Amino acid sequence: MSAVAEHPILDPELAPPFPKAALPVLRNPQLRKNVAHAIDVIQAKRARLVAEKQDWQELREAGAAIRDHVLQNLGAYLTQFEERCTAAGGQVHWATDAADARRIILEILREEKADEVIKIKTMTSAEIRLNPYLEAAGVRTYETDLAEIILQLGEDEPSHIVVPALHVNRSQVREIFARKMGIPDLSDEPKVLTAAARSYLRKKFLEVPTAISGANFLIAETGAVAVVESEGNGRMCLTLPRTMITLAGIEKVLPRFQDLEVMLQVLARSATGERMNPYTSLWTGVTPGDGPQKFHVVLLDNGRSSILAKKTERQTLRCIRCAACMNSCPVYRQTGGHAYGSVYPGPIGAILTPQLQQLHHAQSLPYASSLCGACYEVCPVKINIPEILIDLRAKVTDQERKTVGKFFDPMYVGLRAANVVFSRAWLFHAAQWMGRIGLKVLTHRDGWIYRLPSVGAKWTQTRDLRGLPKETFHEWWKGRDIGTRDQGRKD
Amino acid sequence: MSQVIDSREQVLERIRAATSIGTAASAGRNAAASADEAAGAYATLPREYVRLGDMTAKARHERFVERLREYDAEVVECRPEELAATIAAQLAASGRTKFVAPAGLPAEWMAAGLEWRIDRDLAAHEVEQCEGVVTACFCGVAESGTIVLHHSANEGRRVVTLLPDWHLCVVRASQVVETLPEYFALCQKVPGLVTWISGPSATADIEMTRIKGVHGPRYLNVVFVKDRD
Repeated sequence: MSAVAEHPILDPELAPPFPKAALPVLRNPQLRKNVAHAIDVIQAKRARLVAEKQDWQELREAGAAIRDHVLQNLGAYLTQFEERCTAAGGQVHWATDAADARRIILEILREEKADEVIKIKTMTSAEIRLNPYLEAAGVRTYETDLAEIILQLGEDEPSHIVVPALHVNRSQVREIFARKMGIPDLSDEPKVLTAAARSYLRKKFLEVPTAISGANFLIAETGAVAVVESEGNGRMCLTLPRTMITLAGIEKVLPRFQDLEVMLQVLARSATGERMNPYTSLWTGVTPGDGPQKFHVVLLDNGRSSILAKKTERQTLRCIRCAACMNSCPVYRQTGGHAYGSVYPGPIGAILTPQLQQLHHAQSLPYASSLCGACYEVCPVKINIPEILIDLRAKVTDQERKTVGKFFDPMYVGLRAANVVFSRAWLFHAAQWMGRIGLKVLTHRDGWIYRLPSVGAKWTQTRDLRGLPKETFHEWWKGRDIGTRDQGRKD
Repeated sequence: MSQVIDSREQVLERIRAATSIGTAASAGRNAAASADEAAGAYATLPREYVRLGDMTAKARHERFVERLREYDAEVVECRPEELAATIAAQLAASGRTKFVAPAGLPAEWMAAGLEWRIDRDLAAHEVEQCEGVVTACFCGVAESGTIVLHHSANEGRRVVTLLPDWHLCVVRASQVVETLPEYFALCQKVPGLVTWISGPSATADIEMTRIKGVHGPRYLNVVFVKDRD
């Protein structure tokens, strides 16, 4: 039922390195077809709408500037948000890391004597692995987003941050719903499947008094929270229950309500290829008589403050979770999200996940890229992802250099040897001479080398090598007509 | 609860250290100590995007209606003096008989011969019994076909535009702006509750096939009042 035979591991501490994790996926044509189809649809829609938007680049410019301004003054804006939200009847909590956030949320639920929660889709809660923690503590969690239900009932993991079940096709969904919702003769028409989800959830919305959400944006000026969605399950969860808990990364804050005029214009176009998503909701603390009368916000650090301190990497935190980068990524297109071993896959995941892990884990992710830059082109807040990927590779290499095990790794041995040879001219020339002789054996009549032995085979597995020319440039320069050199100027 | 205070102080201290003048990332600037202090830098942020649209009112209104229809919302236009009658006709055509009305809805909009429940703190299950709702709105945005609700007395509490399956919204031409920034410019005071509606609820989670009406009203009807040209 899940496209990958074993349960995908989205814990960066446990997930296998990207090349290993991607292999089973690459062998799964159904999954690759599902992913490619979904991506093509969103990409086409996005491209049309961006072409239509005359001020798209100016919006990106403003978006990047607003986000940078917030990050530079993050402390001030977060404390303003806290003050205003509290004044409006909300309670603001701060969590240093995932464990802290889980503990805070469970404490709130215990206070409310809640043994069930309905949830709006939030990747942040998946990041802190909230659901298993709550379930273990006796609190049942009910996802209400259609994709999240598919994953929860199918015991699967998200593979995309906006369309998390894009790797699942309709017959797979039919099978999951038929089995778990007890509807044996369910058709696989998306319309019918969606209607099944609608009735399944209606009761939950009206009965469960506690809800957990994420936040797309926090507004510092008023202490408001904004949630962007398509289905209406968000509106259900943030209107009907008695108690609302919003979990938000500290980087989600915007200075003013007015800044939404930029963010809302770029978010829907980038995420789902629509001018505007069906429903966006904004609420401020508690409104007497309308909606939950108890409201909590949990502000989550969990590694974000360490990214804030880095010159090149700080822009990672501009991210508004639109997923345009993964939709444009040629690597993601082939592997889907599970291969990244994190709830944040694709280009943003390749830079965010290792950093949230302080580079202790997920070190293979910065290499899961061809550095084509498509992600940078489409990012609505202009995050220079390739620049960060390269910088992270440098940091990972620095780390590996210090690792005893890596000292004898063929690549490092080879590079150290190359270092010695390249820094002495006579050694360099000798190596060129020997190389020419040695490679001649492997060079075909047409001047190409199709197969190198031993470690070289890794290169020629996917590339051909041009044979070395008869003489080097230096040799040619030395050997050309000396007469011309003595004529003319003699200074 | 010293644990709570410690977490807050820890996070703020980390942020302070990461954004102080000495950090490479801060490029020689110190983080503002308060949002007020940051206001100067905020005011100089680049905003070259389109703030004010340049469509004529007629074009703007046509665009608004066109976008709504793209979302499969049903749109009927009328002159101000025809409003009550147009609403009544739409209600009759819906085939529904039980409606909920926001507490401040104009009485003449509640057509006779139908069952009306006025929302004075109705319980959710009572609203759930209603088949439709009629509301006004704060504003319409033509570029994206968006209707904005501020949940005032004639727009209703959030639950009444959420649970019933059929929503009729009255939008006056004078309420329609072209661009989203124009809507924000209209907000003299920042609203506490806002719902932006751009078409009925939808999902594309299954094979990217767009399905209408997951939760929230599956039917959106708009009566567009031509109170200006």
